[in-house]
Amino acid sequence: MTQITYIEPDGKAVTVNVTEGWSLMQAATANGVEGILGECGGSGACATCHCYVDEARLADLPPPSQGELDMLENAAAERRPNSRLSCQLKAGPALEGLTVTLPETQE
Amino acid sequence: MFSFDPYSPSVDADPFPYYQRLRDEHPCFWSPEAQMWILSRYADIVSAGQDWQTYSSASGNLMTELPNRAGATLGTTDPPRHDRLRGLIQHAFMKRNLESLGEPIRDIARAAAQDLRGQADFDFKDFSSKFTVRVLMAALGLPSGEEAIVDEATVRDKAVLMVQSDPRTRGKGPEHLEAFNWMQEYAAKVIAMRRAAPRNDLISNFAMAEIDGDRLDEREVLLTTTTLIMAGVESLGGFMMMFAYNLASLPEVQALCVANPALLPDAIEESLRFNTSAQRFRRRLMKDVTLHGQTMKAGDFVCLAYGSGNRDERQYPDAGRYDITRKPRGHLGFGGGVHACLGTAIARLSVKIAFEEFHKVVPRYTRVADQLAWMPSSTFRSPLRLDLAVQAAAGQ
Repeated sequence: MTQITYIEPDGKAVTVNVTEGWSLMQAATANGVEGILGECGGSGACATCHCYVDEARLADLPPPSQGELDMLENAAAERRPNSRLSCQLKAGPALEGLTVTLPETQE
Repeated sequence: MFSFDPYSPSVDADPFPYYQRLRDEHPCFWSPEAQMWILSRYADIVSAGQDWQTYSSASGNLMTELPNRAGATLGTTDPPRHDRLRGLIQHAFMKRNLESLGEPIRDIARAAAQDLRGQADFDFKDFSSKFTVRVLMAALGLPSGEEAIVDEATVRDKAVLMVQSDPRTRGKGPEHLEAFNWMQEYAAKVIAMRRAAPRNDLISNFAMAEIDGDRLDEREVLLTTTTLIMAGVESLGGFMMMFAYNLASLPEVQALCVANPALLPDAIEESLRFNTSAQRFRRRLMKDVTLHGQTMKAGDFVCLAYGSGNRDERQYPDAGRYDITRKPRGHLGFGGGVHACLGTAIARLSVKIAFEEFHKVVPRYTRVADQLAWMPSSTFRSPLRLDLAVQAAAGQ
């Protein structure tokens, strides 16, 4: 299990123990976290699971693929240097204790 | 001894008691009849749905696969090919891009509902089929109206037939294969029409699309288009039948939705969880996996029983109860993982509009028959017909 904290759009923090290998998008929807849609199910084709990751932890994450970077252009909320698609982030030891902030809108 | 045969008519009619025993006693179960493993718990299905490297779709995703389809459609390819194909199509189905379809869908719903006016009882399929085929024609850009090359009822009948399976042979029968061939020929004609005179619609764009500078394989264009029509018509129509079945069987939920149509989205989500039409899909293992004390071998097929995961008490407390206030996030009514349904947004929008308009014409209804004839299908579940009797509206 990897402990992940989601900051929902209204500021509420929700901490979830995520099964290894699950994406942060899937874990959020399975646990009722507000602020993530995941319309495409996690194939990196919709940008409705956009999140901002804790900047101090950026280096711990696998870098985004070109496809993810292209898709982030379609995010509804402001794109920032720490923007990622949460469907592309898989729970595992490298992400332990990570905090991700969810944008105000996904659509 | 416990057995689970997804081809059995008793599973078509009511899979839920079987699912309960699978989840509680046999969470990783080998079905000799289906010749595959059955995963029935929510967490196991979600894990498998995300782990496409282990649980591959490239050998087909329908429980009973259609010939020569695997590897040429969204549902039957793995990433990265899958993600690129999906990237070409997803755009058209995203919620924010569907707004322009809202009014045309409402017009279709209104016209289909008007045809029910004055009838004392009717088969709900008459409404759902007409609505579904017309919505799909509008969404995909299939020739309709004066341009139509087939009649609507035939498209619907063929889509429903091609997803069925024969409970005796546990395979596709000649009538199912004939329907599949009919749909491929129809798709081929539409593709040729759109290539000759492209329009700004999904099939025109897809038929001319490229991935990394390469045109798509002809088989990919043909079978993906065939599958979009089949999946759209069968899944939307099938789910509407299930939703009407729920509302007709639960008068208090029906009354709430009629009195306050803003509750329809909550009822739709709970119905997707409670008894979605897409009950079971399959994957194939790329390596050995040991789960709940059983070792599944590389090459084995595995059924992901979405309909069971949705009733898993480990995920949803009191899962066997229909609760319109539940708001079941993360349900598997549209499948899960990278292959989750492409059409979630248009399905939600269409069903909501369809029932808003349906309820304006038929505000109170009950089921005519206790026993229903269920579609013979190892993958999908919906009644073949649903006779409804119109009741006087409450307070009249």
